[in-house]
Amino acid sequence: MTRAADGVEGAASPGRLTSRLVPLLRVLARYYSILVVLLVWELIARSGWINPRLFPSLETIADELWRLIDSQVIFRHAGATLLRVVVGFTLAGVGGVLLGFLMARVPLFQRAFEPLFSFGYPIPRVALYPIFVFALGIGHASKIALIFLECLYPVAINTYYGTRAVNERYVWAARNMGASEAQVFWKVILPATLPYIFSGLRIALPIALVIAILTEMIGATEGLGYLIAFASASLSRGQVFAGVAVIALFGFVLDLLLAAVRRRLVFWEKESVSIG
Amino acid sequence: MERSSLTNLRRPIDALALPVILVVLWQVLASAGWLPAFLVSPLVVLDQFVGLLRTGELLAHARESLYRSLAGFALGAVFGAGLGLLAGVSGRIARFFDPLISLTYPVPKIAILPVLIVWFGISDTSKIVVIMISCFYPCFIAALYGVRAVDPVWVWAARNMGANARQVFFKVIVPAAAPQIFTGLRVALALAFILMFSSEMIGSSNRTGLGFLILNADTAGRFDRMFAAVLAIAILGFASDRILLWIRGRLLVGQLVAEADRG
Repeated sequence: MTRAADGVEGAASPGRLTSRLVPLLRVLARYYSILVVLLVWELIARSGWINPRLFPSLETIADELWRLIDSQVIFRHAGATLLRVVVGFTLAGVGGVLLGFLMARVPLFQRAFEPLFSFGYPIPRVALYPIFVFALGIGHASKIALIFLECLYPVAINTYYGTRAVNERYVWAARNMGASEAQVFWKVILPATLPYIFSGLRIALPIALVIAILTEMIGATEGLGYLIAFASASLSRGQVFAGVAVIALFGFVLDLLLAAVRRRLVFWEKESVSIG
Repeated sequence: MERSSLTNLRRPIDALALPVILVVLWQVLASAGWLPAFLVSPLVVLDQFVGLLRTGELLAHARESLYRSLAGFALGAVFGAGLGLLAGVSGRIARFFDPLISLTYPVPKIAILPVLIVWFGISDTSKIVVIMISCFYPCFIAALYGVRAVDPVWVWAARNMGANARQVFFKVIVPAAAPQIFTGLRVALALAFILMFSSEMIGSSNRTGLGFLILNADTAGRFDRMFAAVLAIAILGFASDRILLWIRGRLLVGQLVAEADRG
């Protein structure tokens, strides 16, 4: 009771400690489950039930992480992964949207590519990686090509269905009011398709990261995937977890960035559930 | 009538046009010797594929791979869709999982494979667990969204007619969310095959599975075997997706009108 009363009073007179405490508490209440999980992890690690080499404490992981940062090793690997993800994802985004629109608007493209996408979707293209390595070498090109190929699918399919799901009445209304074909596309179809495009991009982004990490784990000379595979082979568990933490941060930040761009571009959309 | 049977015939022809052109082109170029050695001709691959089938080698590896991917998929689907449904109807469960899921969703789950290998050994278990974790996310998210997208009018109507909470959940919410859940399952199934291949390539010291077959052929420079194994993975991925779509069609009779033309 008193705390709640304090909060109200504190809000009325800014500068009091409580006024800063209330938003903090709200954040804590929202994200408490993360703290619970971290706490349970730490308890297990410190209890000694499991060999600490298999289950390092958060402190050990943080130490390893700091060593990776301090020695600047992490930056080279993170940079390589980021380059591959960003280039592959961007290419797939542009190519996928273009292809999706073409499939929805041009019958020839629809007939040639639509079955390829809907039937080819469940075929794991990543199995072609060893062949890509032979064709393009073990450097950036083979990884970027595979990221492009895997990300192209969700973007193209979503753009395609999004374009076809545009309410015909909007198009008729625009035509009725004298819009040209170009105007119909830019002012009606494209904005109406944007939410679908972003759904496709949001599916593609983690795929880009997955493909980058796993191709790096299979065969690479740098990158975060290479780092954890190497650390694992050198029996340095702490470093593996530190690498996983960096990859987690990567995925999280990239996803936030994409969500921010979506909010800017699809501003009329009602705030969706916090997961989406 | 006639027109519809004509279009029915045209669809598979269209579908095959581009792949067939590519394969024929590939075969011609390979026969002419214009392609680098790693792009062996389709006929050679087919020959190898049949040969591997005959010795039983391919089936043995495929069985291992299929077991891992389907076990992981099934576990991930049950946990994911189940928890997602619960989170959809219970604010408390949603508030607990929401931050955890959104924090870990974009993380490539394959990254924890080295950790799992340490915990469970280079066994089927570590592979199944990593596939399960990967499949969990799309199923959870699809189920949660599916529940949240249920038209409240239906729930009100059911309540009005005297349905209790349990009936509302099983008779209204679950069926209404089912199409969304199947979308999640389809994504998860494709992921399961990606993860199956990669987990076998990365930690495949128990020498089984199609991923291992590819890895082995890769180190031996046997491109024909490699392509044959890739072909096998492609067939498995495609077939299981078709089976899932068939099940969806059976379960969701009458709910898929809007999606009738989606492959």
